[in-house]
Amino acid sequence: MLPEVILAALILLVSFQFIVTRRLGAAVFAYALQSWLLGGVAIALFADSGLIELLLFGLLIIIVKGVIIPQFLGYRTKSVLAGRRETSYYVRFPTALLLGAGLTLVGFLVATRIPFAPQLLPESVLGIAMAVFLLGLFTTTARRDAILQVVGLFAAENGLLLVGLVVAPSLSLLIEFAIVLDILIAVLVVGFLVARMHQEVASTDTSELTRLRG
Amino acid sequence: MINSFLLIGVLAVPLIAAGASGLVRRDETRYAIVIPSALVTVALAGTLIARVVSGGPVSALGGWLYMDDLNAVVLLVVMFVSALAGAYSIAYFRSPAQGHVLRRGELRKYFALFHLFTLTMVLVSVSGNLALLWTAVTATTFASAPLVDFYGSREPLEAAWKFLILAVAGELVALLGFLLLYAAGIAALGRSYSFSIPVVSGAAAHLSPSLAGLGFLLVLVGFGTKAGLAPMHTWLPDAHSQAPAPVCAMLSGAELNCAMLAIVRVLSLATPSQGGKGGDLHAALLGFGLLSMAVGVLFLISQRNYKRLLAYSSVEQMGLIAAGFGIGAPLTVLGALLQMVTHSLAKTLMFFNAGNLLLRFRSTTIADVGAVARAAPATAALLILGALAIAGAPPFGLFVSEFAIVSGALRHSDWAVGSLIAGLLLIGFIGLVVPFSRMTFGDGRPSEPQPRENLGVAVLAPGYVLLAAVLVLGFWIPGPLHSLVVGASRVVNR
Repeated sequence: MLPEVILAALILLVSFQFIVTRRLGAAVFAYALQSWLLGGVAIALFADSGLIELLLFGLLIIIVKGVIIPQFLGYRTKSVLAGRRETSYYVRFPTALLLGAGLTLVGFLVATRIPFAPQLLPESVLGIAMAVFLLGLFTTTARRDAILQVVGLFAAENGLLLVGLVVAPSLSLLIEFAIVLDILIAVLVVGFLVARMHQEVASTDTSELTRLRG
Repeated sequence: MINSFLLIGVLAVPLIAAGASGLVRRDETRYAIVIPSALVTVALAGTLIARVVSGGPVSALGGWLYMDDLNAVVLLVVMFVSALAGAYSIAYFRSPAQGHVLRRGELRKYFALFHLFTLTMVLVSVSGNLALLWTAVTATTFASAPLVDFYGSREPLEAAWKFLILAVAGELVALLGFLLLYAAGIAALGRSYSFSIPVVSGAAAHLSPSLAGLGFLLVLVGFGTKAGLAPMHTWLPDAHSQAPAPVCAMLSGAELNCAMLAIVRVLSLATPSQGGKGGDLHAALLGFGLLSMAVGVLFLISQRNYKRLLAYSSVEQMGLIAAGFGIGAPLTVLGALLQMVTHSLAKTLMFFNAGNLLLRFRSTTIADVGAVARAAPATAALLILGALAIAGAPPFGLFVSEFAIVSGALRHSDWAVGSLIAGLLLIGFIGLVVPFSRMTFGDGRPSEPQPRENLGVAVLAPGYVLLAAVLVLGFWIPGPLHSLVVGASRVVNR
């Protein structure tokens, strides 16, 4: 059980990369790393329990979220942004870090309030998972760049998949497949809209898009 | 056997239509696909709904596809709205006013996505597994967001982006809710069980109460974002005002109901385990409903853009539907289900009207529009009667369903809740009827000279079909529809 907990803790650590990094490429890499770690948790759980769906789930996560989606986002980042590195915040950097730490605390507090029957993973991993979820959503709201907003949502989903591994480890493969399929569609649509954004406002800074009011 | 054929067929037809629209070369062929595919879908879905009404729930593919009365109500709505929106799309894009806006290849994208959007919404209404239900609701976002950006300028793009980010964030919150709901069943059903609606429904009384309740609240907040409930509604007026008129009709008339279906489904599964505290879940739904009504009405009376006006009316109406389910008395649930049907018809009609006004005046500002009655009586009649219908005036169908909700609220809930709903509906009535009658009969100050040509029969016909349907529902609810809605209310209130 220890390897899973260590991997989960690393997932949380990587989540802070979304908050501190100033480069889009680093954020996309962090997302890929996070997905590999999540796949690792599932595969380690398979080794412990012998549930075959966990192995398939882990491999699916690594292939789709660890390789295909980051490749796609990285390609988008390069082709659309052509060397633009700096990304901006809606909140100032130290404030963002402080809020991130606060959210982690909230995640752990929330997890203690969820009255679930422990399955394969200990309760502490649920706290980590909730914190990863909240940090992902925070990245989406605090960042101005479209690609980072999307990476935040994908990271939040990684947190939820970890929640799933904690509270319902044997949720059938088809469900996970559906989730992953959805993400694939999301990437297609997001890729399209990000390209359109570049075409309209010559950047992916969403703070340029503030015309609709009332 | 027949059930499997119908359930798969109702999904296959829009899928084939989407593929064909993407592949064929000529726009005329794309137009030609729309009507036959809509007719076949309506025939299949109609047969399916009739079988559910007479013989109870049907399922296929090992329970992945399933239809009971509650699903059937939403399928009914989706099928009508998308068929008429398809017919209206053809007339709308063929009209000369749109011709110069379109770029090459735009219609290929439009119709392929249009059929895919229909497919995802049909999938919501035939989902037999809660995981599939979540996936299908999420898929509606991905099919519709590029349609919001159809006109390809800055404002539609902003609207589409805001819609995508907020809707996906909401869907993730809902996913957490579904995970907890699954965990709630582990004690009763074992570690590895099928997440199908009949299975969970059968064990609903034995779910872990706190997990199931928490799961419902997360689904309420998450899918409430997609259903346009305040305070998560902020994307809605943007998306529902920037999309092309037929897409607005689909978004407001059908997609919101898909999200509401998922919320109500989870409510019906989570309540039985709560024992005496089931009222708490209903109270949360009622709270969001009342807040949405208040916010919708507030922004309605201060609007200067008629498409945003209609969008805020959708916030108000979804709030009313949520309040009806939230009060949970048999009469209000019945009213809320009927309201899903009547509101969809009337809102679709009003967005077709908005399209007609846009074709004529090329502006969505209320002050730019005027004297429609003098220039084009047929357009004006549809406009003002549609406005009365959506505002809930008798003898239209919305009056009946709203009356059911208000009287049910007064009888079974607090008098304060009932009179609050009635008061908000009254303000909403004024907020809708005043601007639309000003547009119909007032002078207006068109910013550019008005085109003299009349809108063709093809543009107006879908609207008149809807007007007739809303009017008929005000006097007479057909037997099958009545038993469908009663059956659905039994699913909600077990």
